[in-house]
Amino acid sequence: MEQQIADLAAKLAELEAASVAAAVTNTMFAETFYYLTIPLMILIHAGFLAYEMGASRLKNVLSSGVKNILAFAFVIPTFYFFGWWIYWGLPTGITGSAGPAGISGAEYANSIAWGWGDAAQYMGPNIADQASGVFFGAFALFAATTASIMSGAVIERIQTIGFIILAVVLGSFAWVVAAAWGWHADGWLVTQWGLHDFGAAGLVHAVAGFFALGVLINLGPRIGKFNADGTANHIPGHNMPLTVVGLMLIIVGFWGFLMACVIVPGEAWSWFGDKASTIYGTPITLSALSFNILMAISGGIIGSWLFTRDPFWMMSGALAGIISTASGLDIYFPAMAFIIAFSAGVILKPCADFLERRGIDDAVGAVTVHGTIGLYGLIMLGVWGSGFPALGGAAGEVPTINLIGQIVGAAVFFLLGFVPGFGCSWILNKLGMLRVPKGAELVGMDRVKVPAEGYPEWGGDAGIKPAHPAE
Amino acid sequence: MFPYDEASWSVVDGAMFMGWGSALPGISTAIAAIICVVVLVIGHRSEMEKAKAFDK
Repeated sequence: MEQQIADLAAKLAELEAASVAAAVTNTMFAETFYYLTIPLMILIHAGFLAYEMGASRLKNVLSSGVKNILAFAFVIPTFYFFGWWIYWGLPTGITGSAGPAGISGAEYANSIAWGWGDAAQYMGPNIADQASGVFFGAFALFAATTASIMSGAVIERIQTIGFIILAVVLGSFAWVVAAAWGWHADGWLVTQWGLHDFGAAGLVHAVAGFFALGVLINLGPRIGKFNADGTANHIPGHNMPLTVVGLMLIIVGFWGFLMACVIVPGEAWSWFGDKASTIYGTPITLSALSFNILMAISGGIIGSWLFTRDPFWMMSGALAGIISTASGLDIYFPAMAFIIAFSAGVILKPCADFLERRGIDDAVGAVTVHGTIGLYGLIMLGVWGSGFPALGGAAGEVPTINLIGQIVGAAVFFLLGFVPGFGCSWILNKLGMLRVPKGAELVGMDRVKVPAEGYPEWGGDAGIKPAHPAE
Repeated sequence: MFPYDEASWSVVDGAMFMGWGSALPGISTAIAAIICVVVLVIGHRSEMEKAKAFDK
């Protein structure tokens, strides 16, 4: 009898040890999962860097790169200083009241998201907290992505400091408010309207795209872009292959971006013990992402190729494919994702031409690819995904995805992007901090801003008087 | 379009995509395949037309 009790006690101890080991392994897996999304998302920035520099003329190639790098460098610390607080503090609205899930509101944010006082324990190295840093890192990279989206649209004529201020407003404020409202289980767009935007088509892409539109209206077109009769000239970048490879790198990075939208199971902060979930607490698998992202990339490329044959627009079509399906990557059937992405690829260039005919000089098509297609994706999910519970739980207890809710979300995200973008750039313009002087724009911004040459052995065209203003 | 009679995640124990259990997946797969073929046909025709222009 005593021997049996001793055996049972030993087995119990073994089980407890195995349970502790499993918990440690799961925690390490969860931490590593998000940690690895961060370098993957940095590839988005490598891509945007190459894409913007390739789309710039030789005389502006380095200044475009400098601007992009600085956007990254300033958005990260400002997101640390106050952006992270906004995400946790404002889901229920600007009142900062607590939501039903108990993970929102000013009081909650005060306890975890400031770099001082008691909250600072969650904002720095802490042996008992293996989640806050990697979550912060993933969100900070989402933030920097929004700034990079805007960055490409404004190349070759914006002032560096004015641009950085705009990048901070977008990356550490505007999109964060959108994320709090529409990408949080307590977000009022989710709890009251049933908004579903799993992969951030609206709250990252559309917000950033329409922020860029607001800036472009005040910034104006590059010298030589439009003729006196309003017709547009094409201003080719100096290196299309670099641009296309950059776009492909952005696609690689988006695997990390979308991976970071998944909540892994088994942790105290997880929605489920046995399966992954979306940020809304609805189930998802990485296999779902794999099926749908690949089909969406393909559909977008094919749709763009059909009408443009242009590798720039084909790779932009790949991005548009992902963005048009991002809201519902968790629940689309792969062939449906392909069809929606194909349609996004088809409408991409006409939408960009529409903007250009209205005097908007979007150097890389960012407003269309991210803004217009982001809203298109949100609404497509309302058309096809209505009836799915938008949060973990059952219809009746929680709201369901519906077309009206998606349209409301689209309108809110449009305003959250456009209004701050237009307002801040209007103020910067009045202060003389938005656009470089005409002489500097004509001679090239590298000569003005950068003490280096992009291609020193080739010489530069910076000192050459252009035969045509568009050169 | 929720693929179960009861619109609740708690009843989902398998496929959870739009149209599961209906003809929609098959129809959308067929449409996607047709798109691929049609795009190839259109692409080949237009490319050949442009290529022929350089033979003249």
